[in-house]
Amino acid sequence: MMHREVLEVDVLVVGAGPAGLSAAIRVAESSRRAGGEPLAVAVIEKSRQSGSHILSGAVLDISGLDELLPDWKARGAPVDTLVSSDKIYYLTSRSKLRFPFNGPLNNHGNYVISLSRFVRWLTGQAEAEGVDVFTGFGGSEILYDGERVVGVRTGDRGVDKQGVEKSNFEPGVDIRAAVTIFADGVRGNLTKTLVKDLVLEGPQPQTYALGIKELWELPPGKVIPGHVIHTLGYPLRNEEFGGGFVYTLPEGRISVGLVVGLDYRDPRFDPHMAFQRFKQHPAIASLLAGGRMLRYGAKALPEGGWYALPRCHVAGGLIVGDAAGFLNSMRLKGIHLAMKSGICAGDTAVEAIRSSDVSASKLAAFQKRIIAGSVRRELYPVRNVHQAFGRGLLAGLAFSAWSMVTGGWCFKRMLPNEVGHARMASISRYYGTEPQDIRVSSNAVTVDRTLTFDKLTNVHYSGTRHDEDQPVHLLVKDTDLCRSRCRELYGNPCIHFCPAHVYEMVDDGHGPRLQINASNCVHCKTCDIVDPFQVIDWVPPEGGGGPEYEGM
Amino acid sequence: MKIAVCVKQVVTRDWPLRINDSHTWVDDRDASFEMNEPDAYALEEALRLKEQHGGEVVVCSAGPPRVNQVIREALARGADRAIHVEAESLASADGAMVAEALAAPMEEEQFDLVLTGLQSDDQGFAQTGVVLAEFLSIPHATIIMEVQVGAGRVRVKRELEGGWFQWVSMSTPALLTIQSGINQLRYATLKGIMAAKKKEVRLVEPPAELARRQEILMLSVPERTKEIRLFDGAPAEAAGKLVQALKDDARVI
Repeated sequence: MMHREVLEVDVLVVGAGPAGLSAAIRVAESSRRAGGEPLAVAVIEKSRQSGSHILSGAVLDISGLDELLPDWKARGAPVDTLVSSDKIYYLTSRSKLRFPFNGPLNNHGNYVISLSRFVRWLTGQAEAEGVDVFTGFGGSEILYDGERVVGVRTGDRGVDKQGVEKSNFEPGVDIRAAVTIFADGVRGNLTKTLVKDLVLEGPQPQTYALGIKELWELPPGKVIPGHVIHTLGYPLRNEEFGGGFVYTLPEGRISVGLVVGLDYRDPRFDPHMAFQRFKQHPAIASLLAGGRMLRYGAKALPEGGWYALPRCHVAGGLIVGDAAGFLNSMRLKGIHLAMKSGICAGDTAVEAIRSSDVSASKLAAFQKRIIAGSVRRELYPVRNVHQAFGRGLLAGLAFSAWSMVTGGWCFKRMLPNEVGHARMASISRYYGTEPQDIRVSSNAVTVDRTLTFDKLTNVHYSGTRHDEDQPVHLLVKDTDLCRSRCRELYGNPCIHFCPAHVYEMVDDGHGPRLQINASNCVHCKTCDIVDPFQVIDWVPPEGGGGPEYEGM
Repeated sequence: MKIAVCVKQVVTRDWPLRINDSHTWVDDRDASFEMNEPDAYALEEALRLKEQHGGEVVVCSAGPPRVNQVIREALARGADRAIHVEAESLASADGAMVAEALAAPMEEEQFDLVLTGLQSDDQGFAQTGVVLAEFLSIPHATIIMEVQVGAGRVRVKRELEGGWFQWVSMSTPALLTIQSGINQLRYATLKGIMAAKKKEVRLVEPPAELARRQEILMLSVPERTKEIRLFDGAPAEAAGKLVQALKDDARVI
């Protein structure tokens, strides 16, 4: 009989990101203030160390941090590069046009940060409050009692490629909690299950984008910290939603990235190649000249906004941060909203536990807090903006300007939106009858390994590592589909959309077959989101595996 | 049995390395660190010996405050307490300096057995354990594949070249440097991680006169050199030249 460890806590948080840690800190803090027996708070995190799997630009709106820890400066938060210049450009293939006003992307008073460092600091703050942060433990299953969430089972460790237990096999732990806060990030595997199990979907399906980023270092004296540049246009076409960013940091560092909507039509479109093209643009290449790439990363982000939020409260559980979709895609900011949603969840959890009532109706206080507070004030007016971008860049821009001026009153109801993967066109619909080489991306560039890189080189710079002898963590329900219908209809888009070269179609003499290089996976979730057949299920690999985004 | 395990914190193997401005070490700002893998095997061996023979396992490490990460990890896996010789100067120290820093607090403890990894993943001198044995005036054996503990003695299997092994018997206290891969590493459990928070980590200052014995003059990234030689002539003649070149110049056959 297998011995399974059981841990009982009051509040369990899944995911040590800004949302989860804010919730944990809030619970621990108010429990300390109230005196008496402190509430036991545990946070589980799949990365080997805190901050290793977090990725963002990142420009921080400090309103969430101000609310959580008003004395953050005295506590030594790694938040010190105030935005000093803030520009938006529209890029054509060779030139740039500056927007006369910044509108929603106004970054006055915001800070350019390393989110990985920030999260590591926040972890320290949580631990100082008595929170147990367990890194290297991914949540693999939700524990229910009927419809009530009663905790989470972590993944088994020490299982080999064939699924057989190794001699150091360690079964997953059942962590049981009065309230479980799901902060498992964008397209979190547990939140995905929870939303499906308990039918929590919002009025509209969630839509996503993929952010690809590199950290560069330039010779001393060449970089003035605090400069923020956003771009629209090239290398994306009118039909593709997204834009680029360049943020300058101290120590000669530059964060450069491209965000691409995962609702593009061209099945041969490759977001990683689009990022290479972005860097090749004279306006960007000139900024990076003489520097070298230090790190690479990729991560999806939720862009659906207000109408895509699921119901975030269930009996015994709450959903916060990117897992729910608390992100303002028009401002390209989510950290502060993640933190605020975490604060609301922490307060709601404490209140519920004190009154010994963790029912869904009691935890609905979370929703009331969100609606009454600054989260709705920020997200509601821009509720239709992403949908408008679905009609093309110009329509989107016009609409976002309109929403800003009017608070979105003209379209009080929601504009319709469709789930991103459904927008992908088939090869024949997109390209007509002309034969296509489906192995090559439509936007491929030849990489020079100085400014532009191939996916494998980039993956090396993400520090990604997984124990090789473990089951594949990308579950493809039907691999026959890959060589038959998917190949015919879409030309195997997985080989293009994955920014880490996880998917390959190889032919060893018996026709093409799918090969999954799971150990390359940077946990961005793109495949789970955009696969047109929705047969890919991303599940957490053995705890500790994945990228190492230290300093990113 | 009282067992000490020396562990070192090193930069994670898959971390994209770069060299610092003075070319004397890697630039480890924002580096990701982990326990030196050979030391993890030494720790595992110590925990197994304790499970068989009882006693305690004490983790010993020398380095800056960040080393606490690997000490906590060792405690979470089951070590009982720790000694941390703490100093910034120990960040990229040579084997003799680390051994000297560890020797004084370890000598007081009167360990029956001291285990170290065979070598470190970063500098790879395989010296720290051997020099430490000298400082502690105890016998040592290197590249250990198996440890059998008897009364006042240990019998150990050493790995030699070419698939040969050697059994050595020696009196305890003794120091053994453990070969990687001799056991399967265990995972830290949640309970282990929680228990580790309450375990003692004794901070010790290094000896005042501690200094480097070696200085790294320069680190450099291997230069890629390619040489292509074309052999002309009829196929048989060209093949003959190729074979000759592989024998004489490349010396691979």
